[in-house]
Amino acid sequence: MNGSGFLSFVGDHLSEFLSETAFANVTIGHIIMICVGLLFIYLAINKGFEPMLLVPIGFGILVGNIAFMPGMQIGIYESGSVLNFLYFGVIHGVYPPLIFLGIGAMTDFSSLISNPKLMLVGAAAQLGIFGAYALALLLGFSPTEAGAIGIIGGADGPTAIFVTSKLAPELLGAIAISAYSYMALVPVIQPPIMRLLTTRKERLIRMKPARTVSRREKILFPIIGMLFTTFIVPSGLPLLGMLFFGNLLKESGVTKRLADTAKGPLIDIVTILIGLTVGASTQATTFLTAKSLGIFALGAASFAIATFGGVMFVKILNLFLREGNKMNPLIGNAGVSAVPASARVSQVIGLEYDKSNHLLMHAMGPNVAGVIGSAVAAGILLGFLA
Amino acid sequence: MKVLIKQLKQTGLLLCLLFAIHSGFSQSGSDLRINEVLVENDSNYVDDFGQRSAWIEIFNTAYNDVNMAGIYLTNDPTNPTKYWIPKGNPITVIPPRNYLVFFADNKTTRGILHLNFDLETSNYIAIYDANGHTLIDEIRFTNMNPDVSFGRLTDGSDEFGVLDKTTPKAANYTGAVVAAGEEFVKMDKYGFGMAFIAMSVVFAALMLLYLVFKNTRRLYTIDLKKMFTKEKILIDINEIHDISGEVNAAIAMALYLYHSELHDNEETVLTIKKVARNYSPWSSKIYGLNEPPR
Repeated sequence: MNGSGFLSFVGDHLSEFLSETAFANVTIGHIIMICVGLLFIYLAINKGFEPMLLVPIGFGILVGNIAFMPGMQIGIYESGSVLNFLYFGVIHGVYPPLIFLGIGAMTDFSSLISNPKLMLVGAAAQLGIFGAYALALLLGFSPTEAGAIGIIGGADGPTAIFVTSKLAPELLGAIAISAYSYMALVPVIQPPIMRLLTTRKERLIRMKPARTVSRREKILFPIIGMLFTTFIVPSGLPLLGMLFFGNLLKESGVTKRLADTAKGPLIDIVTILIGLTVGASTQATTFLTAKSLGIFALGAASFAIATFGGVMFVKILNLFLREGNKMNPLIGNAGVSAVPASARVSQVIGLEYDKSNHLLMHAMGPNVAGVIGSAVAAGILLGFLA
Repeated sequence: MKVLIKQLKQTGLLLCLLFAIHSGFSQSGSDLRINEVLVENDSNYVDDFGQRSAWIEIFNTAYNDVNMAGIYLTNDPTNPTKYWIPKGNPITVIPPRNYLVFFADNKTTRGILHLNFDLETSNYIAIYDANGHTLIDEIRFTNMNPDVSFGRLTDGSDEFGVLDKTTPKAANYTGAVVAAGEEFVKMDKYGFGMAFIAMSVVFAALMLLYLVFKNTRRLYTIDLKKMFTKEKILIDINEIHDISGEVNAAIAMALYLYHSELHDNEETVLTIKKVARNYSPWSSKIYGLNEPPR
């Protein structure tokens, strides 16, 4: 073989190889997104902010922002690629109901059953969804986009993904990242609003201890809950059906293995897949847009409105309740379905003002009601806008 | 008994909701509709043989496949079983919300989509179920101009008329389709309507659950045996409620300590348990080196 010919052959192929590397294709957008991914991983590992979600999403952002030559069937948006297959579960709304199955299997509705009034707090906090919807319309988003953005206010990642995949799939990455980010930031967003809206006297209200809930009530709850909520909002069936089914597996006491699988390996697998693929869907080319910024701003507003709705509702309800039956407005924030982060916020803020006033179990009531409420709200949005 | 009746009254409305289940439509032949008909085909849709003839479009209104095999088509009200659609051919399966076109050319040798009648002498078409007497759908039409079709103004709807365009194997409505969301926002520009409706529905759903669970416990905790026995043991409910949380906690702690035997007085009985010696080949006499040779 001719020496100069061989060198030219090697040179050409090296040059071709180098042109295919991420170094040659990287843009400033990719760098920004990689930094965002690293920030998520840092927040999860060092600050402990929702690590189960932020680690897969953060790493997914890194995976999705490796710059490559299009057409190699490796990107998440390239049909036929492995990531695209995994992303199928997101865009077709397969993963969220499975996560709801696991959530149902690990949720104890006792606090809600023992004090059913708390369900109404969970309903009031859904104001965040429709407040953000109205704001999004005002900012010029289309109705379907506004609906998808509004659902961030439900503070429920799987619900947000499910609704967005149906209403505005092109916004999926931004909305999922926004929802999960603000869920992780619940301990930062909610306390100032809670303090602002309550007086010291209200923060010191002690609530009646919850009564013991019988096994029969716990079994009846998922059955009646599923029938009633889905009769009213059939479009919420995939989420509500799976949530209550998971809970029945747990409470029936005869399907322990199934419940253990649903709340253990199954939800873990789906969380890994949903986190990684949602993270990877934030490719700089599709993610870094003005719309994404708007979505982040509206996401923050929706959480604030939801907190406002929950706290104010408890205050209003207290006007009609007798002394001794009054509720501490600090549990109002827990009406959003970030379980158990927002209930924990109620507990922490409550303890700041009275070291012996434990609100955690009381706050778990509206918290799990918020899961049901946000799924119902999702069904309504899909019913009207899809 | 009075208590039971009272409880039943309270929850009666809610229970009624449970039983107010409408019989749903079975997704079968009953989901089929005669969607569009073209009687005089001069320069319109051609069949696989390049021929033009009258055609009938059937629409599957269901969200699952419907197989037309075994079903009857007719143009004669007195003969419901005039054309039987043969079984075993996949082309008779209509996908969800999709169409199948039959040719009314009276030329059955051209395949199962070619009917044994035409529409020259009849202005009636009907579909009958596989039993031959259950009517699924029927339409009557008036004389039409050539290449102008008659049918439902939108797919599967009950409004009939002469269509602006012939649309075999396609949606009958050819105007601009406004998305549901756009339609909604036309009337609710700022989202207040959505907020009001949706919050009302969310509250209604959770209020319903609240009412149920407020009353369910009372309902099933009624002791029917006690109610039907003459002797009634009266319990002072107020007395029970007067027990403070601290007293309850003390009772619970005492019970816990009693059951877990964490009390102050130690047991005075000494039990000597037999300790089993675990077998191991290292300590076995069988494999011992000092075993005498045979």
